[in-house]
Amino acid sequence: MSENAARRLVSMFQAISDAVEAEKDHLSELDGAIGDADHGTTMSLGFLAVKAELAKLDLDEAHISDVMATAAGAFLNAVGASTGPLYATAFRRAAQAVADKTELDLATCAAIIDAMGSGMRERGKGQRGDKTMLDAWLPAADAAATALAENKSADGFWHDVVASAEAGANATRSMIATKGRAARVRERSLGHVDPGAASSVVILRAMASSLNNAA
Amino acid sequence: MTSKTSSSRKGGAGRSATTDPSDAIPLRYGDDPYVWACWLYYEDGMTQGEIADAMGVSRATVNSYLADAREKGIVNISLEPARLASLTIAQELKRHFGLSDCLVVPSDDNARPLIDRLGVAGAMALQKLVKSGDTLAVSWGRTVMSVGEHAEAQALQDMTVVQATGGTTAAFSYTPELCAASIARAIGARCVGITAPAIVKSGALRQMLLDEPLLLEQFATLSQANRILFGISSLRPNSTIHTSGFFDTVSLQDYLAAGAVGVVAGRFIDERGRPVSGPLDDRTVGISLDVLRRIGTRIAVAGGFDKVPALLAALRGGYVNVLITDAATGHGILRADGVTGLDARMSQRPKLAQTPSSYRTHVKKFLNNPNEVVEEMLDGVVRAHRDYIEPINGSHRALVAKSGPRPGKVGLVIGGGTGHEPCFLGYVGKGLADAVAVGNIFSSPPPDPIVQCAVAASGGEGVLFVYGNYAGDVMNFEMAAEIAEEKGIKVRTVLTTDDIASSPIEDREGRRGVAGNFFIFKIAGAACDQGLSLDACEAVTRKANLRTYTVGVALEPCAMPQTRRHNFEIGPDDMEIGMGIHGEPGVTRERIKPADDITDAIMDNIFKEMKATSGDRVAVLINSFGATPLMELYILYRRVAQRLAAKNIEIEANWIGHYCTSLDMVGASISILHLDQELTGLLHHPCETAFLRIN
Repeated sequence: MSENAARRLVSMFQAISDAVEAEKDHLSELDGAIGDADHGTTMSLGFLAVKAELAKLDLDEAHISDVMATAAGAFLNAVGASTGPLYATAFRRAAQAVADKTELDLATCAAIIDAMGSGMRERGKGQRGDKTMLDAWLPAADAAATALAENKSADGFWHDVVASAEAGANATRSMIATKGRAARVRERSLGHVDPGAASSVVILRAMASSLNNAA
Repeated sequence: MTSKTSSSRKGGAGRSATTDPSDAIPLRYGDDPYVWACWLYYEDGMTQGEIADAMGVSRATVNSYLADAREKGIVNISLEPARLASLTIAQELKRHFGLSDCLVVPSDDNARPLIDRLGVAGAMALQKLVKSGDTLAVSWGRTVMSVGEHAEAQALQDMTVVQATGGTTAAFSYTPELCAASIARAIGARCVGITAPAIVKSGALRQMLLDEPLLLEQFATLSQANRILFGISSLRPNSTIHTSGFFDTVSLQDYLAAGAVGVVAGRFIDERGRPVSGPLDDRTVGISLDVLRRIGTRIAVAGGFDKVPALLAALRGGYVNVLITDAATGHGILRADGVTGLDARMSQRPKLAQTPSSYRTHVKKFLNNPNEVVEEMLDGVVRAHRDYIEPINGSHRALVAKSGPRPGKVGLVIGGGTGHEPCFLGYVGKGLADAVAVGNIFSSPPPDPIVQCAVAASGGEGVLFVYGNYAGDVMNFEMAAEIAEEKGIKVRTVLTTDDIASSPIEDREGRRGVAGNFFIFKIAGAACDQGLSLDACEAVTRKANLRTYTVGVALEPCAMPQTRRHNFEIGPDDMEIGMGIHGEPGVTRERIKPADDITDAIMDNIFKEMKATSGDRVAVLINSFGATPLMELYILYRRVAQRLAAKNIEIEANWIGHYCTSLDMVGASISILHLDQELTGLLHHPCETAFLRIN
């Protein structure tokens, strides 16, 4: 492995930021249907801040949990509302989950995805079916755990993770929002993909291509 | 007009063609056989045959008269719009899901509860579908029970009603036993129960029970069912399935994690209608999904938006071939399944409201840079109210009371989004809140300024967070509380939930916090200022929250400074009762009424919950949402005072004006704080803030 784990994790965040940037307008459009049309902008702001803050880390010294904790702080300060605390908590829980890991292997990746999903769930006090980002993250975490247990290859692992997240995000189309702003439009949220779930897929796809290729 | 058309139409061929129509119309009919035929048909209620005799023409000619009259616009047939919509939706549901029948009750009938109306419709369907000798399986639920309550005896014989599942605790009034019994009684059928619990302790026990001769016999009856009536349960957080006692919470979580979205006759299904397996499968005594699907007539009766995902799943899974629901739910199901074009078809009716050419898309506002409104406002606030508040560490997003926090006193931190001024910063000062965290418009502040507030407010005895119950605020304040605790500051939180229109009383904790914040902050601030312990401050603040009741009414929407556009719409003659301070939907949208009628509707709602008796005291807050003037607020107050006086409830204190606004929304809210001795004392405790001074 040419790069250390912290560097790979920082590249992952750069990949996420690039992907979110590319999908920014699309995400805001999705949000316009059921919210205030700022989800793309919000996510973009958050990950640009993360990227900037990570650039300040000494990657020869930093541990992967430092990378996650830094991302948490940066995201929270850049983004208010509810997306801020949700992702900040996700990154913070991931930092705790990888505190004793040195390798960014599939087990660590599964732990990160799982910690992020459960962090969001605890912070948002939500569950599957609420038409939120949890509808992408929780299936992704399950898929990661299953793929790991079945000793799948890195390709298989990431394929399963992304496919589950996509299926989960698509399923939000037939759900009614109860959480956050979208809850205000109740039945009008039907037929629309939840923008938070859609951005989760963008993030997980970027994680997959970044972490899988570098392995 | 001559009558030549009648003989030239193909419908007028045959006998009538041999008769000269002009001879067939007596003079007394005038020269218009169309109008006369229509009169006899629509007004006198004659049949086409009777009209033919009366007019001396053939029945076919009458038929063509009536058809022509419609084409010529002599007769306008109009259907009541709500009924038309429900019919359109029913037809579309039937077509889209291949149902054998579908009954959709109109949605905009506020006269009776939905469950009742579904019950009536379900009873109608039973009347049409159930025949002598049938065996009807009946599941359980509130809606099924309602069908039983509305079903009527029919002249049918030899019918059997059989319970579709085992029984449950009788802690609720719509158990499988009661539902089956009620329907059997109503339609005069023999009732066969399933005399075992719906969920038993183990798979082994279930097998033992199913081997019992009595249960074998009962299940044999169930297997003969040729029709089934069932409700569909949602698994959403507030659905009755969680409180019905049918399933335990732990098992529900297992099924949720496996993707379950609904329950059909005690069995779990996922969004595509596939069975979801879980820990209860081999412990459930009742009809299986496979057996259910083989029954000929499968009548599902269910409605309400929260059931859309579950209903959609049941339809996709083929468990339903007769659906009884309401228009809004039906519409939601179609939309969720990607059916488009329905809205266009339903809106082909001419719209009453035309957009005038002078219609404006933007609202005028005093602005410099729309992206800087919050900063500029805060700059003004800090300058204006320097006697009461000052920035913490130079930040305008965290403001502290000038002579508020002191050692030995519990600190009170409030906060939330902007756009509600004078909420929240107008209530910071000695005797009230010690610090306020300020977010963007309608958007929670992040944890950082909240933590700064907690630190600034802390006097070593702990800090109380009091803020409105909104998802974003809860998350940010909770994170801030965790960080403050790490810094050694003890934090307690009271969420305000005074908006009684935002959620039913059973979901009291899910309600929003609105203008009643004013009272709750005041009580909390006084308790802190009197040097009470953190426990005591928290307790009395909770009491104040429980005894504060608010209902708002919006007349016109508000416009965000960044867009200067309305962020939702209210029709030209409409109002929305119960609308939240960010435009959240209320209870009903209806035609605007006289002020006293609106006030009465609000007060009736408040009286329903406030258990005040003659001689009790209250504080009243009439709050403008932003654009409603004092003149109108006094008109509302007048009626509130009359209503309270009629109950001999005394108004201890009142506030009328802008106390918790929603930008420039037109509308107002009425808040009542039901006082007791302790709250009265705290209400009168002195305070010095920009918007409330009590000496």
